[in-house]
Amino acid sequence: MKIFLPDKSCREADAGSVTVEALLRDLGIDPIGVIVARNGTLVTEDALVENSDEVRIIRIAHGG
Amino acid sequence: MTGRHLCRGHFIAGIEERVAETIRSRNLIVPGDHVVIALSGGKDSTALLMILARLLPSWESVRLSAITIDEGIHGYREDTIRSADDLVAKYGLSHSTVSFTELFGGTLDAFLNGREPEACSVCGILRRKALNVAAERTGATKLATGHNLDDEAQSVFMNVLRGDLPRLVRDSGSDSQGRFIPRIKPLMFVSEKEIAVYLMLHGAWPDLPECPYAVHALRGEVRGMLATLESKHPGTMLHLMESKAKIEVQCAGRLEEEAIRPCAECGDPCSGAICQLCQLKKTLKK
Repeated sequence: MKIFLPDKSCREADAGSVTVEALLRDLGIDPIGVIVARNGTLVTEDALVENSDEVRIIRIAHGG
Repeated sequence: MTGRHLCRGHFIAGIEERVAETIRSRNLIVPGDHVVIALSGGKDSTALLMILARLLPSWESVRLSAITIDEGIHGYREDTIRSADDLVAKYGLSHSTVSFTELFGGTLDAFLNGREPEACSVCGILRRKALNVAAERTGATKLATGHNLDDEAQSVFMNVLRGDLPRLVRDSGSDSQGRFIPRIKPLMFVSEKEIAVYLMLHGAWPDLPECPYAVHALRGEVRGMLATLESKHPGTMLHLMESKAKIEVQCAGRLEEEAIRPCAECGDPCSGAICQLCQLKKTLKK
């Protein structure tokens, strides 16, 4: 699985088939502060991601 | 947020209907209003402009325009101002920008040199004044800001932590007691995350840097705590808003209102002899 992190860095992970929520927790990221796209489409925290997926994690806070 | 899984169309319609209902039930916009949007170019004000522009045809004789405040935050504000300029051009709205340099004689970066931990309180006082000046110049009758549910819940929590009951129950739309243009917050029941999804679904997510001074804010700590609570106990932020509304009802007419008088130096309404802005100005380095 190719994961693009909020700081725009990229890493490969062999996470198997997991929920977005579990993946975020493994990465130490609070789901409330990010949104996640799987292969370019936004998904909810209960969606499954697979090793073949490209996952992009986007931080939503900007400050006014 | 709502616990429902919605398709793109229903998600967008649901957010817009919630904003319309907030405006309707609280009488935030009335016929004949000129609503000026405080547009930073960040995600919240971008979504606010898009939603208000979408709802505009449903209101009678309402006009929209936008103002932007350039605080002078290097490496941050340049990008958001560019984003704001692009957005108003796309929607054909009139737009004006007011800078801290024009109003106060220097940039926020220069003022904060050596006092960065105070960034948010210094910026808040200056920005409040700048927004009032910019809004008055447009002749607007309402000033709409992009404060979302997270912001509002954080404010409730911070006022509880400070034990500041008067501020907890004060409505920002009426706290100027008729002396400033009333402020409205149409996104107050839309979470930050919903706003982000709304923008992404429109292909309008502004991929911008975070304010470099955000790390110094008490709000940042409160945001983290509330985010954790919301994650473990969904609905926490809405419950905080409901608590505030109940406390407001209980306190109505029972709290002694602070006497408002003109500032001895600038004449703006304030609760002390000299307003916060005039006090702050004496300490600013240029």
